[in-house]
Amino acid sequence: MSRALTDVPSEQRVAALEEKTEEQARVISELRNQDALKTQFLSNISHDLRTPLTAVITHAEILRDGILGDLSERQRESVTGIISGGRQLLDMVGEILTYARGAANQLSLTRSEFNIETVIAQVAALSESLTSRKRHELTIEVERDLPCVYADREKISHVLGNLLGNAIDFTPPGGKVWVSAKQAATGERGPALLIEVRDTGIGIAPEHHELVFREFAQVDASASRPHHGTGLGLAIARKFVELHDGRIWLESALGRGSSFYFTIPLRSPH
Amino acid sequence: MGAHVLIVEDSALVVGALRILLEDAGYRVSSAGSVREALETGRAEVPDVMLLDLTLPDGDGLTVLEGLAATGRVPSVTVAVTGRDEPNVIQRCLEVGCREVLIKPMNALQLPRQIARWLAEPRSAPEP
Repeated sequence: MSRALTDVPSEQRVAALEEKTEEQARVISELRNQDALKTQFLSNISHDLRTPLTAVITHAEILRDGILGDLSERQRESVTGIISGGRQLLDMVGEILTYARGAANQLSLTRSEFNIETVIAQVAALSESLTSRKRHELTIEVERDLPCVYADREKISHVLGNLLGNAIDFTPPGGKVWVSAKQAATGERGPALLIEVRDTGIGIAPEHHELVFREFAQVDASASRPHHGTGLGLAIARKFVELHDGRIWLESALGRGSSFYFTIPLRSPH
Repeated sequence: MGAHVLIVEDSALVVGALRILLEDAGYRVSSAGSVREALETGRAEVPDVMLLDLTLPDGDGLTVLEGLAATGRVPSVTVAVTGRDEPNVIQRCLEVGCREVLIKPMNALQLPRQIARWLAEPRSAPEP
């Protein structure tokens, strides 16, 4: 029968604790190495996937554009499906690469001054075919005289596109989606731009609110899930917002729609 | 006869697609799947345009451009075609002498017109 630690002399206890601490440090270091290896693997494989994807998309475009002869309408539809699938895969590869860069702290911001209303309009225009297919009513509300934001335009567009895409995906046909932007005070951090993407969709149970921002997390893994992605979209959105010193969160309940919010501090370029 | 385009790329699938597009537009196309093969082809006949993949089975694609430059047989236009979009990779391509860097999958349908434009426009002077 082993003795409790309190029964052994103090030097031995210290030695035992030191040994345990060293062992734990070794395990942590090993886990970090393994994690870095996994990230490097994801990055390498994602780069390599771009080459066969180039071949798939280009060959299909050659057929679609009739370079090798005219296609029937149905053949063209089928080939267009190949191109769409290829482009979806490409987006997923891009997400994995962004995640890998974020994990390796290799993401940086390229800031410029821009009008958020323009970015919202552009992102909404890109989603137009999806919203009309699902007969969604999309409303955009931007506060008047909103100051320009000094931020990474591409990354903010990405965050907005992701939130809007999710809102459309998880809202049944005929539902409503809103995108709004206004100025808000955020305490010590000063004024910020507050953007909300709200929908009348299926909603998210409160116990899953943190989970949705985790890498590879998918709240509903059932076959009925309409959106099959990498599970990285919101994790990347959070990373991009946090790189700007902003915050992202949601308010939602099952069956009662979702509201996703994020803030971007309003700062001057000078 | 159209301008000569050398595609340096180890994916036969990508070469096949680009060959169809470029030959359809009237270019003469040859291809090489490795650094060694590209150096041999490029030295035998300097291409007007070289589309250069960076990751080849026997080494870094940019060594093809460096190898050709060492013998004074540089294509009029060299464009890197790569799946890597890190800023340091792009920077190195431009430093070695690539006219542009296309990230896969590039808009390949535009390539014939882009090549015509590159050949027609003299290269702008490098930044001091």
